[in-house]
Amino acid sequence: MASRPTVTVIGADGKATGATEVLPKIFGAPIRPDIVKHVHTGMAKNKRQPYSVSEKAGHQTSAESWGTGRAVARIPRVSGGGTHRAGQAAFGNMCRSGRMFAPTKIWRKWHVKINLGQKRFATASALAASAVAPLVMARGHQVSTVPEVPLVVDSAAVAGEAVAKTAAALGLLRAVGAGADLDKVKGSKKLRAGKGKLRGRRHRQRRGPLVVYSTETDGKDLLKGFRNIPGVETCPVDALNLLQLAPGGHLGRFVIWTSAAIKQLDSVYDAKKGYSIPNNVVSQSDLTRLINSSEIQSVLRNPKGEAQTKRGQVQKKNPLKNKQVQLRLNPYAKAYIAEKLGEVKAEGKPTPVPASFKEMLNEA
Amino acid sequence: MSTASADLIWQITRAQNSYLVKRSTGGAPQFSRDPLNLMNINSRKYAGFVNDKAVGVLPNQEGGVTVISKKVGSANKPASSRHTVTYGRNKTARKTSKAIANQVAKNGYRADLRKAAVARASLIRRSQRAVKADPEQKLRGNAAKKAAPKE
Repeated sequence: MASRPTVTVIGADGKATGATEVLPKIFGAPIRPDIVKHVHTGMAKNKRQPYSVSEKAGHQTSAESWGTGRAVARIPRVSGGGTHRAGQAAFGNMCRSGRMFAPTKIWRKWHVKINLGQKRFATASALAASAVAPLVMARGHQVSTVPEVPLVVDSAAVAGEAVAKTAAALGLLRAVGAGADLDKVKGSKKLRAGKGKLRGRRHRQRRGPLVVYSTETDGKDLLKGFRNIPGVETCPVDALNLLQLAPGGHLGRFVIWTSAAIKQLDSVYDAKKGYSIPNNVVSQSDLTRLINSSEIQSVLRNPKGEAQTKRGQVQKKNPLKNKQVQLRLNPYAKAYIAEKLGEVKAEGKPTPVPASFKEMLNEA
Repeated sequence: MSTASADLIWQITRAQNSYLVKRSTGGAPQFSRDPLNLMNINSRKYAGFVNDKAVGVLPNQEGGVTVISKKVGSANKPASSRHTVTYGRNKTARKTSKAIANQVAKNGYRADLRKAAVARASLIRRSQRAVKADPEQKLRGNAAKKAAPKE
């Protein structure tokens, strides 16, 4: 590859500034949904808080089994009398007021260790996918008004106090074509089904664009501007997070980069010691191009047969109607037709049958 | 480099994508809501968001059909990647079909989609025809006797 692909930098007015940025190498990483999914499943578990039922639940009674011979099951039963509770079964998971089966413990294995190499691979993969417009669309982002994917916004548009206010930030997002995605998020807020409502997860809504910035150049004022826009998330380029790059384990988050962030991305990956960007196992994934390549075509055998192959005994043809078939069966038909022998009148009168023949017929 | 091939994108998205509508009954068909999908079927051939070249036929608001297609080589520029042509309602069906067939199949675009595009346009145009009023029902039996003028 002679020159590396570039991406246009979009200004605050939504038009190209004329400047371009070289696309960081990481966008060429292999896109592997399986790895992203696996790593995401693990990572999503690492923010959980332990929970469990009370250690004592279901065991706060002095129940004892009645043993055999009382014509009741041998489950422990509450002792004593004078209350309905006496004689009821206790403890078992099948019992009313018994403990649950396998009571949950706070020492459950809540967190999942994920290999660093896999985590990096997954992040690289998610980044690469975020630069492919069809994948961003397939994830459900409304990007039909976006001038280019990956979307790079001039750092001048977010520098300093430029988007410290939400109205300014919103204006910038709409100017660069992210308005449709914001509207989609806004209309998507729904009450969560189930108990999650009571547990601090009352609503569910779509995710909007992820704004990736460079802390050094862009500063942190933009955080305040973006933080109250529904669905919009921000992330510094040196702390990219798979949970944001591939929410739900689905590739293709709509990412808006500041030009400083995309410039810094290569150096972020260069700084990782002993790490190299993963290579594609198959460098050409376009099957049509592979098949039609001269390397493949030159070693293929020529196709057998004619361009039009003869159908064998597929269908029976009627020789009386199909002349070719008739000629094959009866070569004389050609001359017969040419000389119109079928239409020739018999010459003269037919000789009458001799009387002796009739006699012979009627003899018996 | 960053533009993944259509084959790769299809393998990634064929099982789950935002356009896909899965039904569990009736043979569990898989439909697509992609506007660039002529058959509304989730398949490699008709998946508009996957292919570099794709055609969509949509009803036009003022009658007739709008044909959208993807511009080759601008896959990563969504805002400028659509080509839109409108065939108004005053254009005859024959001319519309002919124009769509040529647009879809000529110049090495997508000859395999010609039939589907023309069929879809034809159906859309048919749906735009004014609905004929039902003929008035003839009364029969007792109702007819009652309605008949008394002699």
